[in-house]
Amino acid sequence: MNELFGSSRAARRITSTLAWLCYLFLLVPSLIVIPISFGNPGQIEFPPRQLTLDLYRQFFTDPAWWGSMVQSLLVAVATTLLTLLLAVPAAYALARSRLPGRRGLQGLFMMPMLVPVIVLGLGLYLQFSSWGLLDTTAGIILAHIMLTTPYIMVSVLSGLKHSDIALETVAAIMGASRVTIFFRVVLPQLKAAIAVGALFAFLMSLDEVVVAYFLTGTQTMTLPVKMFSSIRWELTPVLAAVSTLLTVLSLLIALGIIALQRKTEASS
Amino acid sequence: MASSTSASDLGPGTALLLLAPLTVLMAAILLYPLGVTVWTSVNNGGFTLSAYADLAQSTLFLKVLRNTFEIAIGGTLMSLVIGYPVAMHLAAQPPTRRTAYLIMVMLPFWTSILVKSFALVAVFGNQGLVNQLLGFLSGGAIKLPMMFNRVGVILGMLNFLLPFMILSILGSLLSLDRRLILAAETMGAGPLRIFWRITLPLSMPGMIAGILINVTLSIGMYITPALLGGRQDMMVANLVDFYTRQTLDWTAASATAVVLLVLSGLLVALLGRVRGAAGLSEAGA
Amino acid sequence: MTVTTAPAMVELQGVSKRYADVDALHPVDLTIAKGEFVTLLGPSGSGKSTLLNLIAGMVAPSSGRIVIDGRDATTLPTNQRGLGMVFQNYALMPHMTVFENIAFPLQVRKVPKAEIRRRVGAVLDLIQLGHVANRRPRELSGGQQQRISLARCIVYNPALILMDEPLGALDKKLREQMQLEIKRLHAELGITMLYVTHDQDEALTMSDRIVLMNGGRIEQQGTPDTLYFRPETVFSAEFIGSSNLLAGTLEAGPDGAPVLRTALGTFPVPAPDRPIERGAKAMLLVRPENMTLQRGGDTVHVTGRIEDSILLGGVVRHFVRCADGSTIIVQELNQPGRVDAERGHEVAAGWLPQHGRLLPAPPAG
Ligand SMILES: Nc1ncnc2c1ncn2[C@@H]1O[C@H](COP(=O)(O)OP(=O)(O)O)[C@@H](O)[C@H]1O
Ligand SMILES: [Mg+2]
Repeated sequence: MNELFGSSRAARRITSTLAWLCYLFLLVPSLIVIPISFGNPGQIEFPPRQLTLDLYRQFFTDPAWWGSMVQSLLVAVATTLLTLLLAVPAAYALARSRLPGRRGLQGLFMMPMLVPVIVLGLGLYLQFSSWGLLDTTAGIILAHIMLTTPYIMVSVLSGLKHSDIALETVAAIMGASRVTIFFRVVLPQLKAAIAVGALFAFLMSLDEVVVAYFLTGTQTMTLPVKMFSSIRWELTPVLAAVSTLLTVLSLLIALGIIALQRKTEASS
Repeated sequence: MASSTSASDLGPGTALLLLAPLTVLMAAILLYPLGVTVWTSVNNGGFTLSAYADLAQSTLFLKVLRNTFEIAIGGTLMSLVIGYPVAMHLAAQPPTRRTAYLIMVMLPFWTSILVKSFALVAVFGNQGLVNQLLGFLSGGAIKLPMMFNRVGVILGMLNFLLPFMILSILGSLLSLDRRLILAAETMGAGPLRIFWRITLPLSMPGMIAGILINVTLSIGMYITPALLGGRQDMMVANLVDFYTRQTLDWTAASATAVVLLVLSGLLVALLGRVRGAAGLSEAGA
Repeated sequence: MTVTTAPAMVELQGVSKRYADVDALHPVDLTIAKGEFVTLLGPSGSGKSTLLNLIAGMVAPSSGRIVIDGRDATTLPTNQRGLGMVFQNYALMPHMTVFENIAFPLQVRKVPKAEIRRRVGAVLDLIQLGHVANRRPRELSGGQQQRISLARCIVYNPALILMDEPLGALDKKLREQMQLEIKRLHAELGITMLYVTHDQDEALTMSDRIVLMNGGRIEQQGTPDTLYFRPETVFSAEFIGSSNLLAGTLEAGPDGAPVLRTALGTFPVPAPDRPIERGAKAMLLVRPENMTLQRGGDTVHVTGRIEDSILLGGVVRHFVRCADGSTIIVQELNQPGRVDAERGHEVAAGWLPQHGRLLPAPPAG
C-alpha cells in the first residue's frame, strides 16, 4: 500500500499504463528486427508473410556485407586485447601509487567518454589524413583503443577498489616481488572486472559508427559504417538480418556482463 | 621509508613505467587531434578568429544551432515527462519484478544505435507498422509522416535518452524514505499533495542529473538526426560532417566542432557539480 | 477484566492479519477508551506493529471490524482516519524546515496562514524548541527530532496518536527523559495514545494499561500493577519483571488446602485466579524481591548453595543453586554493613505463602 503517492488507485493505474507504453516503445525497436529478418528478401515486412532464411543467405553471400563484419570483428578483438594490455597496468599504477598528478592522468584516460564523438572523429580525420593513417586498419584500431580505454579503466579501477589490499601487503611481507604480486595476487582478483571491461570494450568497438565513418574507406569499412550508409541510402531488408545478428550478440554480451557482475557482488 | 607508504604501494619509477604507454597513446590519439582541431579553426595562414566570425554570420550555422537546442531541450523535456511516471512505476515494484522491468528499460542501452534506427524506420516509417495499422483502421485515409522529419528525430532521441532519465530518477526515488509518505498519509495528506510536497522535491537531484545527462548526450547527437531526420533537422554534429565532406571546409568544420566541444564541456562541468565524479562516468556510459 | 466506562476511541472486533504464510495477528478484540494511554508490549515479531498499522490503515485486515471514534474505519483510507503517528526514525521531511514540517498537517487541513503560525509557535513552545523553527531536521539531535515529530502530531489535535517504538533510536538517558515528556504531554492534552514498545520498563513507566502480546495474540491486558503482581500465565510472569518458577503437581494438603508437590519439596500455595484441577501440572511464581535468605526459619523455603551475589546499587541479588540444578534468585535491599553468605554456603530461600502465585503450566512446546 505504501506507494510513492500514497494509496491512490487511480494514480497508480495511470502511471502503470504510461509505464507499459514506455516499456513497449523501448523494447519493440530492439526486438522487431528478429521477425523481420526471417521475411521475404523483396521488402521489409512485419509480420513476415512467409518465413525464409533468404536475408541471411544474401548477407553471407555478399562480400561487401560479410567482409565488413569480418573487418569489424577483427578490429573489435584487436582493440579489446590492446586496450587491456595498456589500460590494466595503468589502472593498477593509478590505484596503487602516490604519483603526483595521477588524478590528472585519470582525467585524461576518462576524457574520451566526455567529448562528443563527432569532435574526436573530425580531429582524428584531420590528424590521420596528414599521417597517412586514413583508410587503414591500424588507424581505426588506434582510434578505438582511445575510445574504449575509459570503459576498461572504470571497470578495472572499481575491481581494484574492491580487491583486498591486505593480500598484497601480506605477499610483500612474505617476500614476493612486485611482478609476482601482480600476476599471482592482483590479477586473479581482477579477473571478473577485467572480463566485464573487455566485453564492454568489445561491444563498444563493434557498434562504433561515427569515428569509423570518418576514418575508414572502401578498403577498411566496418559493419556499422556499412549499415549506416545502407540505412541512409537504400534501406535493404538485409539490414534486418544484420541487425538480428548484432542484437543477439549484444544480448549475449550483456548477459555475460550481468552474470559476471552478479558473481563479483556475491563474492565480495 | 616514509611512514605513509605501505608495503603494497608502487614506487614512482614502476608507476611511471606502467602509465607511460597509455599516456603517450592518449596524448597522441586524443589530445593531439583535439589540438589539431582547435588549431585548424584559428589558423588561416596565421592566427585568426575569422572562422568563428563567419559562423556567427552564417544562417545555416545559426539555424543548425537553433535546431540543436530545440531538439536537445525538447527531447529532454519529453524524456523527463515520460520517464518520471515510468521511474515511479519501477520504484513501486517489489525488487524481483523491478529487475525484470529494468531489463526492458536497459535493452535499448545494449542495442546498437543502427539497429534501433533501422527498427524505428520499420515501425514508424511510411510503410511501417504504425502506419499500416492506422491505414487499416481508417480504410487508408490516415497516414502520419513520422520519419525523416522532426518527429522521427524526437522518437529516435527518446528511445536513446529515456533509459538514462529513468535510471537517474529511479535512483532518487529508491532512496526516498517511504515512511515520509506514510507519515504524510496519517496526517491526512492526499495523493496529489504527497506528490507535490514530498515525492517531487525529494527526487529533484535525480531529475536534475537526468536532465543534464540527457542534454549532454543529445547535444552531440549525430546518427539519429542523420538517419531519422530530414534536411531541415540537421544538428551541430551533422554540420561538422557536412563541412568536412560536402564543402571540404575544414576550418568551418573545426570551428563548429570547437563550439560543440565548449558547449558539452560546460554541461559536463555542470553535471560534475551536481553529481560528483560518479555523474561524469554515467554521462558517458 | 478491565471495565472501561469512558466512551471507546478505538474498538477492534475480531481483527486479524494473515500474510502469505504467517498469521501476523490472530483475531483480536481490543477496546481503547478516550484519553487512555495504552501500550502494546511484547517480544519482536509478536504482532505489535501489525496491530498498530491495522489501526492506522497502512495494512488491510484479513478479518474483523475496526471502529475509530464511533465510525467504522475498516476500509477507510489512512488519510481520512484523523490519526497522528510518531515513527521510530521520526519521518521528518528532510527538505522542509522544522516550521514547515509542523505546518504541513495544518496546511492539509486548510488552516489559515496566521492561524498556522500561531499554532506552530504554540507547540514549539510546548516542547521548548522555539529556537530551532528555521532549521532543517538533520541539523538537530535525535531527541530534538523526536520532539519535533511529536509536535507535528500534537499540532493538529488528532483524536488518537499512534507511536511505534518511538524512542528505540535514542540512548537510555534520553529515552527516559522522553518517556516523562510524552507522559506529561498526555496528561496535559488528554489525547488518546497507543504506544508500541518491547521494553517492559518503558511500558510500566508510561501506561494506563498494558496489552501484552505473544505470537500474534493478546496474552494479557491490564494496569501495570496487574501485569506485574497478577500475571495470568508463565509468559506474562517471565516477560515482565524477573521471576522464580517452581514446577510441580497440584495436590490437596493434610488440611485440604492446596499444595504444590515439586522436586524441591511440597509447598502451600494460594488459590489460583482460575481454578486448576487437583493432580494437574502447575507452576508457582515467587518474585525475587519477595524472597529472603535465612538460616533455617519457619517460613516456606527451599535450600541450596550460594552461587553468586551481585550488587545492583540499591539491591543485592543472590543466586541460589538448588539440589535439582535450578537457580533461585533472591533480591534483598542493600544495607550498610551488609554481610553476604560466602559462596558455596548452604542457605535457605524463603517466602510467605501468600506472596506466591499459582499459574497453569504452559502448554507443551
Ligand atoms: N509485510 C509482511 N509480510 C510478511 N510477513 C510480515 C509482514 N509484516 C510483518 N510480518 C510478520 O508478522 C509477524 C508480526 O510482525 P510485527 O507486527 O512487525 O511484529 P512486532 O512489531 O511485534 O515486532 C512477524 O512474524 C513478521 O515476520
Ligand atoms: Mg515492530
